Amino acid sequence: MAVTDTPRFVRADGPDKVTGSGRYVADLTLTGMLTAKFRYAGVAHARITKIDVTAARAIPGVFAVLTADDVPDLRYSPVVPDRHLFAKDTVRFEGEVVAAVAAINAEVAQQAADAVVFEYDELPIVDDLEAAMTDESPLVHEDWEEYAVTGDTPRDRNVATFSSISKGDVDAGMAAADLVVKQRYVADGCHALPIEPRGVVAQWEGNKVTIWTSTQVPFDARNGVCETLEMPSNRVRIIVPHLGGGFGGKCGFHFEAHIAALAKAAKRPVKIVFSREEEFLAPDRRRESMIIDLETGLMNDGSIVARRGWVAVDNGAYTADSAFFPQLAAMHVAGPYKIPNVHIDSSLVYTNHQPSGSVRAPTAPQGCWACETHTDELASAVNMDPVAFRKMNAIDTGAEGVVGQIYDEIGLQDCIDAATKAAGYGQDLPDDEAIGVAIGWWPSFPGPSGAFVRLDADGAGQIVTGAQECGTGAVMTLRQLAADELGMDPEDFEIIYQDTAVAPYDTGATGSQTLLNNGRAVVAAAEQIAEQLKAHAAEQLEAAVGDIVLANGAAHVAGSPDKSVSINELAEIASGGEMLIGKGSPVPPDYPEIPGMNCVGDQGVAAWAAPQFSCHAVRVRLDRDTGVARVLGIACAHDSGTIINEVAAHGQVEGGVLMGIGQALTEGTVYGEDGRQKNPALLEYKLQTFADAPPITTTFIQTPTTEAGPRGAKGLAEAPNVPTAAAISNALAKILGQPVRQLPMTAERIWETSTAGGNQ
Amino acid sequence: MTLETAPASINLTVNGVTYPVVADTSRNLLSVIRTEVGLTGTKEGCDDCECGACMVLLDGQPVNSCSYLAAQAEGKAITTIEGLGDGDALHPLQAKMLEAGGVQCGFCTPGMIMSAHALLERTPDPTEEEIRIGLSGNLCRCTGYAKILQAVGEAAVELR
Repeated sequence: MAVTDTPRFVRADGPDKVTGSGRYVADLTLTGMLTAKFRYAGVAHARITKIDVTAARAIPGVFAVLTADDVPDLRYSPVVPDRHLFAKDTVRFEGEVVAAVAAINAEVAQQAADAVVFEYDELPIVDDLEAAMTDESPLVHEDWEEYAVTGDTPRDRNVATFSSISKGDVDAGMAAADLVVKQRYVADGCHALPIEPRGVVAQWEGNKVTIWTSTQVPFDARNGVCETLEMPSNRVRIIVPHLGGGFGGKCGFHFEAHIAALAKAAKRPVKIVFSREEEFLAPDRRRESMIIDLETGLMNDGSIVARRGWVAVDNGAYTADSAFFPQLAAMHVAGPYKIPNVHIDSSLVYTNHQPSGSVRAPTAPQGCWACETHTDELASAVNMDPVAFRKMNAIDTGAEGVVGQIYDEIGLQDCIDAATKAAGYGQDLPDDEAIGVAIGWWPSFPGPSGAFVRLDADGAGQIVTGAQECGTGAVMTLRQLAADELGMDPEDFEIIYQDTAVAPYDTGATGSQTLLNNGRAVVAAAEQIAEQLKAHAAEQLEAAVGDIVLANGAAHVAGSPDKSVSINELAEIASGGEMLIGKGSPVPPDYPEIPGMNCVGDQGVAAWAAPQFSCHAVRVRLDRDTGVARVLGIACAHDSGTIINEVAAHGQVEGGVLMGIGQALTEGTVYGEDGRQKNPALLEYKLQTFADAPPITTTFIQTPTTEAGPRGAKGLAEAPNVPTAAAISNALAKILGQPVRQLPMTAERIWETSTAGGNQ
Repeated sequence: MTLETAPASINLTVNGVTYPVVADTSRNLLSVIRTEVGLTGTKEGCDDCECGACMVLLDGQPVNSCSYLAAQAEGKAITTIEGLGDGDALHPLQAKMLEAGGVQCGFCTPGMIMSAHALLERTPDPTEEEIRIGLSGNLCRCTGYAKILQAVGEAAVELR
């Protein structure tokens, strides 16, 4: 088992962040810069009858007012291109942008946004997932059949995409079962909620635009601007200053093109910074609400023989990056179990809600919560301890999972053992306390990624990478990888990152894959420099290249540490000829092939490369009189392959767990009958505070993993978010005698469950 | 009702330096510190006193500067994140936040450090519970607070 010892990790961006000298988008000012404001629909579903900007444009200090008439008339979005930059003919959610204004200051900009005449006829609101799937439902997109959909997905009216996963014969399996358990689980949507509200600044010089923006995915943002404003990629430069968190909420392409178009029209730099309310209402990256029906056939010995599932995922008004959500949701409600007969149908359903998108492990916390709450109900039905039940049914190395994939060496069973042991599972507890256990899984996402590494004449290193640092420390860890390849210290390197004009492509801070993909790129680039250094050293030391070792800032001959030359000296020598510039863009590992996989609407998220596994065991205390639950402690065990940066890895688990507790107990979007959010503010939408946070312990099960990142690392940032709500649910069910089958499990819902009938 | 506002000359003393600024009387302290004074380390996360990212010290007391009028701060000693540390040397709270891994995206960090500073001024030897309660007005979405707790505890030891 490879374990990398990293007792210390001082982030390269750390001094900027603790001194206040680090710049975020909101901190940027350009000469002549104007302020932008958006006019939002403010209504969930309506036919536009009039948009008139005459009065707004006439206000002194207003430089530009734009609507759909002022930008290219095209629809965009991956897989299902179903939206325009500005509302056109119809508005489909309250946060849709109707017009954008650039003015001399924020007050004038707001005055002009308010002065835009926007008239409409209201349309019936589609807000119930099941009703939306019927033939009688009003359509969210009347032109749905005209959309230029890519890929293979069945679609029908309000169903934007559909996927199924299937294995064996679920009808026969169900018929042969000794007993069948069937339940429904309903999860509300919630928000990513980074503490930094998003901001965009755009400035044109000639026919080129530079956009400073708080995105997690600079190249996606660039491509969105190129597509919607019809520009080549080399005239759009995206720069991300420090990014104040994202959690998926800042993935995708958002408002960069709106601000770029304003700046072009105004002939001035233009800036927008969102208010907290706008953060709640406007972005197309909200965690999706879901309805999950699960039916599971069991034998009396506790073995699961069949699972049938039906899942509806709230797409909201437009398809952001959610086309693959149904298949991913199907995988999570099926779970990391050895089930011979499986069939899950899963639909992405249009509503007049804010669009859903990739928030930290999309569909997984809700899917896992349903699956794992259901698992405890199954164990109870056969009078088994839920941990023993999991040990019996969960996949292990060499086992076949729910789509027929055979898993290489995995650490799920070890995760269950480690987390339950650390939590003291099985101990006697007071009547108002219990320990709940849940397991989860999450794929890794290999993909193309590039980096340059160079050493200049003084031996100082630069890593130039397209990767994006959203706070996790993944990009900061890259210099550790480069340093190790070159026998140098991490502090010998600075990192140039998140600038699309200077660095090669990377997917961005999405899918927990920065270290997995860009780590391999940096290692490959550093290896090229290592070869150059060794060649120079061999010449200097009159030794064979194969005998040169790079360590401690010098090159020496193997077995003769005294016979050495410093890397600084070698760098100076190299600077007079072929410079020390390495490039890395390794071919990504393949995704596994699953012979005979039987999935309709395959979106590529059923065959999992380098899957991550986890088990969380959480101790909960419940105040029965009020329904208020408090998490007293949580023990986590994660198989994320080799841990390269231990401090950052613990930080990811701790942050993911706390987000999971919020999703479990307090965080949920509440919609009114008018289709508008009722709690778009931090007083009504409650995050977990310092005082709420429990002690969190983490064990890393470092299984050797092939087809993964550098040194066998897998992803980590999303996995801790997956089983937390599920484990809390199972603790609550033990105390209450039945689960709370609605998420979040608020005090009111817990109290209702504990009193007559509850949510049965 | 129309709120009566007008430009006013205000002398703001920030980190020991007095800045004569002209700002509308309706302006909050946060926006004046970030624009007229030009120190952007203090962040805006909600403009509603709920997240703590804008925390500064007024005569040593922690205040959400988003909800405090700039004009009210005249005559008070304002300390922002830029006022901590001694030259290039980090304040122990800053150093421990880095060493313990209490910094991820960094957006809540300045406000968190200012709240912690105020806490340790009045409670030099805090219990874990006192740290949790003392910093409960500062939201962090990245860390789960665990490493911030560790950092503040370690800084308290060093500062005593």
